[in-house]
Amino acid sequence: MRKPTGPFTLSRRSLVAAAAVAPLASPGVLRGQTAGEVIVRTPGGVYDDVMRRHVYDPFTKETGIRVQPVAATVARLLAMFRANNVELDLIDTGDGPLVTLERMGALAPIAYDQWHWTRPDDIVREVRHEYRCANFIYATVLAYNRESFPNGTHPKSWAEFWDGAKFPGPRMLADMASGQPNLEFALIADGVSKDQLYPLDIDRAFRSLSRVKPHIRKFWDTGALSAQMLSDKEVVLGSVWNGRVQTIIDRGAPLGIEWNQHMIQTQALAVFKGARNGANAQKLIDFMLRPESQAGYARELIYGPTNVKAFDLLPADQLARMPGSPNSRESGFFNNVPWWEDNRDRVNRAWSRWILG
Amino acid sequence: MPLSRLGALLLLAPSILLLVFVFLGPIGWFLVGSFAELGSLAEIWEETRAVVGSRAVALAIANTNWIALQVTFFVLLIGYPLAYALNRARGLAFSLIIIAIVLPYFTSVIVRTYAWMVILGRNGIINQMLLGLGIVSEPLELMYNRLGVVIGMTYVLLPYMVLTLYAAMKAVDPRLLQAAEGMGASRLGVFLRVFLPLTMHGVIAGSLIVFILAIGFFVTPALMGGPSDIMIAMLIEREIELTQNWPVAAMMTVVLLVVTLVLYAIYARFTGGRTGFAR
Repeated sequence: MRKPTGPFTLSRRSLVAAAAVAPLASPGVLRGQTAGEVIVRTPGGVYDDVMRRHVYDPFTKETGIRVQPVAATVARLLAMFRANNVELDLIDTGDGPLVTLERMGALAPIAYDQWHWTRPDDIVREVRHEYRCANFIYATVLAYNRESFPNGTHPKSWAEFWDGAKFPGPRMLADMASGQPNLEFALIADGVSKDQLYPLDIDRAFRSLSRVKPHIRKFWDTGALSAQMLSDKEVVLGSVWNGRVQTIIDRGAPLGIEWNQHMIQTQALAVFKGARNGANAQKLIDFMLRPESQAGYARELIYGPTNVKAFDLLPADQLARMPGSPNSRESGFFNNVPWWEDNRDRVNRAWSRWILG
Repeated sequence: MPLSRLGALLLLAPSILLLVFVFLGPIGWFLVGSFAELGSLAEIWEETRAVVGSRAVALAIANTNWIALQVTFFVLLIGYPLAYALNRARGLAFSLIIIAIVLPYFTSVIVRTYAWMVILGRNGIINQMLLGLGIVSEPLELMYNRLGVVIGMTYVLLPYMVLTLYAAMKAVDPRLLQAAEGMGASRLGVFLRVFLPLTMHGVIAGSLIVFILAIGFFVTPALMGGPSDIMIAMLIEREIELTQNWPVAAMMTVVLLVVTLVLYAIYARFTGGRTGFAR
């Protein structure tokens, strides 16, 4: 989705049209007045099912507080805040949009001092912030088709991904509409080392993208589309969120993941300032981040936990493929969220010029 | 007996109120709010120049109009015979045709678009058939390009054309056709000189509806198009969703609205002011 509302962005389009009018035509279904309730913005789809099993239902059982997941795009969240008509309490989305909301003053601080299921110090320091706290770590990886590239003949770096002569076949990369195009990979392919990426050299990145463009069949804008293109063999190489591709690999698709030079990203939680069920939202954050909850959903979503205690609850083979694990930090690099929040506008314009030019 | 002006106004009032509340109000709120964000008139002027003068916006508008024109052409080409068949069909045949046309209309655009991906993909039904029969040796590129966009949009917009044409055809007095035949006109002559002119307003109205809907499309081109099949609605969506740059989105919206109104004015001119809807 757009600003990466996270690796799952199923329902954004249908909601976009409604976004502009949301404050005027807000559906009356989101009643949060009852005391025992918390309304959560989620990415929707399978994500909700997994969270219900590992977090929402156990939480309700323990506290009596009902959890109601709803879909909402970033624009919709902003519109709610601007119109002073906040209809939900907890936001579960990509780190980027939360930084935007934080800068607008739309968020309440995370009540770390009230936690009793989770020890705040167990949450990885880099992802624990005043107004948002990460609930899992995911990665954008290089995926390849094992039929087209058997026995380890696949590209093992972005530079090789860019090399259409040596590694033929249609490819995909992320579209601007996904939230951020793969400028980092373009720079790495052009020889920039992964610890010297930021601030990104936008012009150089687009020059590099121009070289791979003839091999790009499509730029994907949603996680669903990227997984579909890989499993339908519309493309034989592509950047993709690890959970998305792992799900179809586990279902038997002949695909592989090259973990070299992957980009590590985070999904996070935040509470709307002035939310009707703000206190319940704080409790749900506390509950969701405890090791048992995290280990449960991390295993199913194949995204890395942010609670170090949750690592102990995961088997070694699961840990090996978890973004954010020691292995992953070695071969990957962290996405710089503030850079993207500061520059998304510029990149968006440059993207339009480049793609249409 | 002709309606009094007051009577007409009263009958129109509910529609007008609805439009004000669900269309004009929100759009007004959006535009005013967006421009207010910029602060001064000078800044609004500066941004307007940037948007209107942008090469990307100009190219997207050109793409949008060209795609909409192609789609309108194919929708008409397929829709007219279909509406004609519907008009002649009775009983079960009529029900089947109407269900085939209307049912997809009630299905989400995203679902329908994904269905096309199954059919048109590199390993989709059509390519597998062509490869299996040995007609082609490499899969044809039927989507993730302009062709895919035109196929997808033509399909999605077809019901609007067929239903509009059906209404126009239904209104043709069959005795006129019989009279023409009785006067010795050939079947082709009856069609070209009587039926077609009598349904022309339906053709114009249907084309207008399809064209105007087409220039606002973005789901289908986003899913079925190639890298450069960018329509203006996609740029607007990105400004709203991605960068929260509402002033720029508002400006692009105005550009799209102006393009629509200009086309509408040209069309009204060609049809002598008659809308084609009212007859």
